[in-house]
Amino acid sequence: MGLVRAELLKLTTTRLWWVMLLVMLVYVGISLGFLIAFAGDPGPNGQALIPARHTLAFQESLWGVGTGGALFAAVLGVVMMTSEYRYQTITTTLLVTPKRARVVTAKLIATLVVGVALGLAVLALTGLALVVTVLTAGGDLMFTGTVGRVLVSVLAVLALYTLFGLGLGALIRNQVGAIIAVLAWIYILDSLVNAIPALQPLGKWTPGGATAALTNTGVGFGLDTSYLLPAWAGGLVLLAYALLFSALASVTTLRRDIT
Amino acid sequence: MAAIEIRDLSKSFGPVRAVDGVSFTVEAGTITGYLGPNGAGKTTTLRSLLGLVTADSGSALVNGRRYVELDHPLSEVGAVLEATNFHPGRTAFNHLRVLCTAARLPVARAEDALARVGLADVAGKRVLGFSMGMRQRLALATAMIGDPGVYILDEPANGLDPAGIQWLRGFMRHLAHERGAAVLVSSHVLAEVEQIVDNVVIIAKGRLVRQGSLAELISNGQAPVVRVRTVRSEEFAATLERHGGQVEAADGVLRVRGLDVESIANIALDERVLLTEMTQERGDLQQIFLELTGEEQS
Repeated sequence: MGLVRAELLKLTTTRLWWVMLLVMLVYVGISLGFLIAFAGDPGPNGQALIPARHTLAFQESLWGVGTGGALFAAVLGVVMMTSEYRYQTITTTLLVTPKRARVVTAKLIATLVVGVALGLAVLALTGLALVVTVLTAGGDLMFTGTVGRVLVSVLAVLALYTLFGLGLGALIRNQVGAIIAVLAWIYILDSLVNAIPALQPLGKWTPGGATAALTNTGVGFGLDTSYLLPAWAGGLVLLAYALLFSALASVTTLRRDIT
Repeated sequence: MAAIEIRDLSKSFGPVRAVDGVSFTVEAGTITGYLGPNGAGKTTTLRSLLGLVTADSGSALVNGRRYVELDHPLSEVGAVLEATNFHPGRTAFNHLRVLCTAARLPVARAEDALARVGLADVAGKRVLGFSMGMRQRLALATAMIGDPGVYILDEPANGLDPAGIQWLRGFMRHLAHERGAAVLVSSHVLAEVEQIVDNVVIIAKGRLVRQGSLAELISNGQAPVVRVRTVRSEEFAATLERHGGQVEAADGVLRVRGLDVESIANIALDERVLLTEMTQERGDLQQIFLELTGEEQS
C-alpha cells in the first residue's frame, strides 16, 4: 500500500495531473454543451440526430459522453510511465524497491485508481449538466438499467484506457513518441476504422469500437451503431486490451536493464 | 564479511564487453576509489551491484546479499548515480517524501536529510531551478535517507564547484571514518579522490588493472626514490653506492633508490657533505594512472 501511495504521490506532487484533468473536463464539457444545445434539432432527413432533451434516450446517451475523456486518461497513463524514463527517476524507484514486480503492481493499481478518479470526475460533470438541462426542460431525471450500464462503462473505459496508456508508455518509453502514438491510435486510427463502413468489421474490435459498444444506447448521433459488438463483448475486448498492455508494462519493466 | 563483494562480474551490451571478470571488495570504515577513464565499465559495475543491470555472470553482493534480495535497501545502501534523477517539477522535499513513502520511512527523515546536505532552505523549491551542485547534494540526501552503512557513489563530484568538492570530501570522510560506513566512489579524475581514498581499484576497458591501497599504487611496485642535491654530487654518489644505494645522476641531482631519507641524512652527516635538497619523490600518480589505464597523456 505504501508503494501505491508513493506512485499516487508522484503524480500529485507534479502539476500535470490537474492540467490534464482540467483539459479533459473542458473537452467533455464542450461535447456535452454541443449535444445539449442541438438536442432535438431536426437533421438533414427531418429526423433529430440528437434525441430531444425531455426524452429518456437523450439522458441515456448523454451519460456516455464522458468516454471522450478516455484520450486524456490514456495520455495521463503514458506520462505516469514515461516520466520515470524521461527524468530517469526509474533508477531511484528501483533502488527503493528492487523487487520490480512490486513496483509494477503498485503502478498498475495506482493507474487504475487514477483512471477511476478521472471517470468519477467526468460523470460528476455529466450529471451536473444533465440535472440543469433536464430540470430546465421540465422533465425528470431517470435511472434505468441502461443508464446504470453506461455509468459503469464510463468508469471502466477511463480506468482501462489509463492502463492502456501505461502499457504503451512502458513499451515506447520516449514520452513524446508515446503520446503521439496514443493520439494517433485513439484519435486517428480508431476514429477512421469506425467511421468508414468498409472497415467497421475491423473497427468494432478496436478500443474505440469496444468503447462505443459499451456505452451504445442505440443513439449514434447520426452514425450507424448496428455494426458494434454487444456491450458485454465490447467490455471484454477493452479488458483484453488493458490486460495486454498491462502485461507489456510488466514484462518490459521487469526485465529491462536500467542504464 | 565485506560490505561490498564483487566476484568475476561480467556484462556485455551487444558486442561490447562493458565489464569483464571484475572482482574486488570494500570493507566497512574505508573509502575505496573506483577509478578508470570514461567508458571503462565503472557505471555498469555499480549498476549491476545495485540490481539495475543484470550481469551475464559473476556475483555482486552488498552485506553478503544481492541488492534485489534486500528487504529495506535504503537502510543498507545509499546510492548516488546521476545528478539528473529528479523530476524537475517536483520540489526537493516532495522528492524525498515519495522515497520515504515507498520505503516506509518516517517523513521526518526527509527533513533531516535535507538539513544534513544543507538544502533545508530550498526544500519547498522545485528541482527545475537547482544548480548542478544542489542536485548533487539532493542526490546525496536521497542516499542517506535510510542512514545506511554502505554508500555507492558514481562520479559524485561531477558538476561540483571547488567548494562543493571540498564539502563532498569532508562528507565522505565523515561517513567512512566517523560513522564506519563503507564508501565506494567512482571517478575518472584521480585528483578528485586521491586525497581521501584508502584503497583504489582501477579498471580500464572493462578489466581490472590494479587494486590495492593508495600507498601501494604510489610506489607502483618500485622502491621509493629520494632526490638529493649536493655540490659534490659525483663523490657523494659513489659514497651512497658503497652504502648499498642505487644512484642515478642527472643535472647535479641524484635519484637514489634502496636508501631512505634518514639513512642518506646520516651518511651525509658522517661524511660531512652539505646537502642542498633532499625530498622523497612522490610517484606521479596521474602518470601512473594514465599508464595503467592505457591512456596517452595529452
